[in-house]
Amino acid sequence: MRTDRIGGSPNRVGGIGRVTGSQQYVADIRLQDVLEVKLVTLDCARARIISIDTSAAELVPGVRLVMTAAHLPQPVPRFGPQFSDRPIIAVGETKYHGEPVAAVAAETRDAAEEAARLVRVEYEELPAVFTIAAALDPASPLVQDPSLRAGDPLAGTNVLREHRFGWGDVEVAASSADLVVENAYTFPMVTHFAIEPHAFMAAPDGDGIAIWSSIQHPNWLQKIISQILGLPLAKVRVFAPDPGGGFGGKQHTKLEPLVAFMALRTGRPVRLILTLEETFQAVRRTSAEVRVRTGFMSDGTLAFQDVQANYLIGAYADIADRVVSKGSYPAAGPYRVPAVRIVSRSVLSHTTPATAFRGFGNPQVNWAVESNMDEGARALAIDRLEIRLRNLARKGEAFIPVDTPADGDWEQTVRRAAELIGWGTPLQPGRGRGLALGIKSGPTTGLSYATVRLLADGSVIVYAGTSDMGQGARTVFAQIAATELGAPLDWITVVMGDTAVVPYDQQTSASRSTVLMGNAILRACQSIQAQLRTMAARLHGLDEADIVVEGGAVRLPDRELPIIDVLKPGLGRLGGELVGNGEMRKEAEPGHPLGGSAAFYEFNCTAVEAEVDEETGDVTLVRHVTVSDVGKALNPLQVTMQDEGAAIMGLGHTLMEHYIYDERGRIRNLGAIDYRIPTSMDLPLEMLSAMVENADGPGPYGSKGMSEGALLCVAPAVAAAVRDATGVAIRDLPLTPERVWRALRDRSTP
Amino acid sequence: MHTFAYARPATLAEAVALLEAHGPAARLLAGGTDLVIRLRDGTARPAVVIDVKQIAELRPAIREENGRLVISAGTVMTDVASDDRVRRSFPALAEAAAVVGSVQIRNRATLVGNVCNASPAADTAPPLLVSGATVVAEGPGGTRRIPVDGFFVRSGVTTLARGELVTAIELPLPARKLGAVHMRRTRRRGHDLASVTLCCAVDEAGVTRLAYGSVGPRPILMIDESGVLADPAGSDEAKAPIFERMFADASPSPRSMRASPEYRLAMLRVLGARALRTAIDRLARG
Repeated sequence: MRTDRIGGSPNRVGGIGRVTGSQQYVADIRLQDVLEVKLVTLDCARARIISIDTSAAELVPGVRLVMTAAHLPQPVPRFGPQFSDRPIIAVGETKYHGEPVAAVAAETRDAAEEAARLVRVEYEELPAVFTIAAALDPASPLVQDPSLRAGDPLAGTNVLREHRFGWGDVEVAASSADLVVENAYTFPMVTHFAIEPHAFMAAPDGDGIAIWSSIQHPNWLQKIISQILGLPLAKVRVFAPDPGGGFGGKQHTKLEPLVAFMALRTGRPVRLILTLEETFQAVRRTSAEVRVRTGFMSDGTLAFQDVQANYLIGAYADIADRVVSKGSYPAAGPYRVPAVRIVSRSVLSHTTPATAFRGFGNPQVNWAVESNMDEGARALAIDRLEIRLRNLARKGEAFIPVDTPADGDWEQTVRRAAELIGWGTPLQPGRGRGLALGIKSGPTTGLSYATVRLLADGSVIVYAGTSDMGQGARTVFAQIAATELGAPLDWITVVMGDTAVVPYDQQTSASRSTVLMGNAILRACQSIQAQLRTMAARLHGLDEADIVVEGGAVRLPDRELPIIDVLKPGLGRLGGELVGNGEMRKEAEPGHPLGGSAAFYEFNCTAVEAEVDEETGDVTLVRHVTVSDVGKALNPLQVTMQDEGAAIMGLGHTLMEHYIYDERGRIRNLGAIDYRIPTSMDLPLEMLSAMVENADGPGPYGSKGMSEGALLCVAPAVAAAVRDATGVAIRDLPLTPERVWRALRDRSTP
Repeated sequence: MHTFAYARPATLAEAVALLEAHGPAARLLAGGTDLVIRLRDGTARPAVVIDVKQIAELRPAIREENGRLVISAGTVMTDVASDDRVRRSFPALAEAAAVVGSVQIRNRATLVGNVCNASPAADTAPPLLVSGATVVAEGPGGTRRIPVDGFFVRSGVTTLARGELVTAIELPLPARKLGAVHMRRTRRRGHDLASVTLCCAVDEAGVTRLAYGSVGPRPILMIDESGVLADPAGSDEAKAPIFERMFADASPSPRSMRASPEYRLAMLRVLGARALRTAIDRLARG
């Protein structure tokens, strides 16, 4: 098999540029006359802005603009993907540590920084809420101005939305359950830590504007800028160079509207490259407190799941409320559960705005529900693997009523993971094993267009509005075109990241692009294949029905021709090209709790063996197994890399990552020194990634999305292994050595 | 970045003169792994930065001289960690130098810079204390030799006088056979700042030298000459009170977010016991 076709693992398209540093990120793009922007922020979370004196800052040589809310249209426009609640710059009050109150544009970064220090802001620090408990206290201040959601009965509280999902009658089920296990779990506040910090640039562009952003959803950004500036979409050109990691943190518009207004006011290009510290203040994942009550029958059969999940979101909603609803909706897991009640709340606070993060709200509830499965198994003296297999939904089973039935033979995945971890085999002293299942709903709606051009020499250009932020979309898209149109991979160019050139794509999120954009590209290729069939029929005097175009070749009744041998004579002396368009649509479903059913499920089983140093609390992962049901691996190496990457990212919130706030709502561990992410030295001693392929997904060739699965259930698997090794159950993350040490010490205290 | 003057003296005398003239408004630049970060984040705003890399006496060098190993001020951690003489005679120092920062930082950061920052968490401080190192300072009054135990005051503060800079660190080559080890606690295995850093050396005469840092304003050296700690057959019960005396001065900050005082103090004891066992074992194995 050729490695550049589907199922092969060719060298990554753009990979050499990425590893040698020649790839152009937004910060690498040098426009002439560009002004550098520095944000002005306050040293506290919530404050009333009394006055802003920019006079000293304006005297710094090279300063061209000190922008405040006063320079903007009044009332200052607000925006957001779900609620229009975020102002372009703080208006009247800051709501979180790091929210800009002014911004300086200057000829050099040094001048901008110096001037930013000289902006005098008189302010009064106000009481604020940084925790779920404080936010839910009726005596606490409100984060959001109630007028922003007039008529909402919750407007007088810090609960942005409350979501209720479920089926069956939990109370009835509870009355007949043999065992009820109830526990509370907490999930920490963590940040994405993309290696490329967020970067934004804007420049006047004729009678419109051009925006450069390290964004995952360029078309959504285009729409928001168009609305804010009152420009037609065609006059807003968004350039979205491949981001250096996104993980959900770069999905939605952040500071692009601010730099757009600064560019229009100065008439110059302006750019804002955040520092790592500023990215901590710009994006994070929702933290959560989850109380789960699980009912079992004595044979381990699940009787009910009763889940209450409070997610702490930030000062502005961004997409976080959708994270809460979509993430908590499959909280009962991939199991057959007769009665389920899920109540989840998005709770506003004076903290960094929370947003999408790989796993999209699922790891928070999965941590609680899977840990509780272990509690039930132990109480019933049933093997922890067995209790899961006993309840696991079979393929085709409607385990979530009125949603997509189980779309994989999930038992294969679980058994493979159990086999790879050596489940049930003897353990060395001081070691333990844990195993957990994770499930996530794929995209509930979607719309992707692709254009494919087969040029006269047989080379191909693919236009796709996906953002390749490291997941390898360029490579997979090129492989689809190579497979369908017969061109070698290095004869294929994939064009992305320019809304003036590339057709519309809704977004790069929810592990959708292989499935949705992949199908759009496949359809565009099929349109070209149909044109080739017509051509071949004309050239050879045949009936179209007797011609098949597939696998990069044209099959006539008596022989097979390479596509180029039909294309060249077919195009004739003038040359030209064949153009194919493809569209992939997943419509909304009115009445569905999430607005649409899952396009596919990401299903993963993670199993670990851990060794615990009881003197220090150190947890060493001796072996980490992750198995995902991927339908079909279009590029097996990339599938493994995504799986391993998600697993390692999951080790961050499991073992070490968390924001530490002070009493004024300032992030104390702002930056890389005291916010620790796993390094190569922190990896499990052995990591095994495997996949199950039954070609039963909705994507090209039976593929499913798979970039988040391996992150979903890392925490419960690791905590279960720690429990197995030590007998101690820990219900708060991360499992830092100190936290494990304390739990062990408290265990031995009589 | 804040504006500052940059000086690159060619001689020690010029550097001393500049330091004397500017006092605390001057900062020395060798590896720059601490200074450049502070210049960028604005926590250091010196009037003048004095780059000492062109001074001949400070050029990277490790040499043996009159029964001492002399490590010049320009010598970087990578070279300390890989030097055969250091590894043979001061293995704990080599171990400590090998865990400072990351590979890139160790290729730039100097041992002397680590000492002069006087961070209580400096990984090389405990092995230098245990080894009886001497800091060689050059100043307006000439050369001064300061025992490293008399050098550290608190974070960022040493007993250097105005106009003085450190030109080298001297380590007396051990007269007796000894076993030594450096250990640390961090929040992860990848590069990190220590929440406890500790060095233990046991010699053939039964003397145990133990130094530890990151649990108080400055690293601390303790010596047990009773032979109880060094006794391979000694019981934990016999050793415990001596350890407790040795650790009595530890006073970790309650404000640190890296670890609670309670955990640091507990880990000091765990590391102390583990390091002692390893040191005894290494001494026995020669």
